[in-house]
Amino acid sequence: MKEKIQRDIFDYFSKNGIENFIGVPDSTMKYFIEQGLEQKKILITTKEEEAIGIGAGFCISKSPTIIFMQNAGFGNSISTITSLIQLYEIPLIFLIGWRGYKKNDAPEHLGFGKIQNQLLKILDIPFKIMSENEWKSICDWSLHNLHKNNSCALIIKREHE
Amino acid sequence: MNRKQAISTIVKEVGNNPIISANGFISRDLYETCDRNQNFYMIGSMGLASSIGLGVALKNPKIKVFVFDGDGNILMNLGSLTTIGSLQPKNLIHIIFDNNSHESTGGQPTHSNKIKLSRIGKSVNYKVFNIVSKKELISNFKKIINHKGPVMIVVKVNKSKKVSKRVEIEPKKIVERFTNSLKIHSS
Repeated sequence: MKEKIQRDIFDYFSKNGIENFIGVPDSTMKYFIEQGLEQKKILITTKEEEAIGIGAGFCISKSPTIIFMQNAGFGNSISTITSLIQLYEIPLIFLIGWRGYKKNDAPEHLGFGKIQNQLLKILDIPFKIMSENEWKSICDWSLHNLHKNNSCALIIKREHE
Repeated sequence: MNRKQAISTIVKEVGNNPIISANGFISRDLYETCDRNQNFYMIGSMGLASSIGLGVALKNPKIKVFVFDGDGNILMNLGSLTTIGSLQPKNLIHIIFDNNSHESTGGQPTHSNKIKLSRIGKSVNYKVFNIVSKKELISNFKKIINHKGPVMIVVKVNKSKKVSKRVEIEPKKIVERFTNSLKIHSS
């Protein structure tokens, strides 16, 4: 995804009530994170479950939060999502980098890239894939979910050839 | 001193401040000893009590936030200590009840009898205090929690034969009560 759009997405969320951006970096969202770091609004954690825990702490203090991560980290977080986020009905927006979307990605990403969307469906987490043309309405969709107390996920594809 | 005795001693000193309690016997002991709206009982997601506490502490800098953690629990999320140590939340009091074991799952050993949690705490820039008896706990706790955080208190406890009842409150209700108590506290 283009640098400018990634930066715009960060600013859009920031202007529309998201107070915390917490997670583990992924190259698919490099500029999104850079935009946040420049504004000192990003918290980088040691692993994704930690980010979700901190996000839960913010959320039960009524502070809207986005958790960003690579899909490998999403895989690591599954039981935290079921036993904390879903069990306690704590709403978060997950921004997930889709590694292994194309077969030319590094081999370690291919296995998870294939099952990622099925896992989201099994977990009953509604998701949309970010697009450069419709990013604003997709962001609005996720904010709407958050206001209705539902978690959801936004996927950023790795598109390099 | 066993964990339940330690918890009932500490809870008398925390006033209306929030407590995030780790899953397993820690939450069960707290629930049985002193159920209150300001308790966030974890009933799963082992390891994350200090992370949830960090989020609450950062959003509510004027409120002292207590985390009730265990040795097995924190060993599962050591990265959290580096995050907390880097961010230096002044209002976070991180209490670790150390019984050198995974008591909730049958008392299997952890590594905390060979590795000192207090030394890890020091190296990640916590203010660290060790408590080994009920007497020490009673005489020192008030003074310790007046230090600027992040504060780590490692409370040595024995295993106990008695098991407290499970937390019976619906998780959604735990969140509701907790969130409302923060609002009241800060208004």
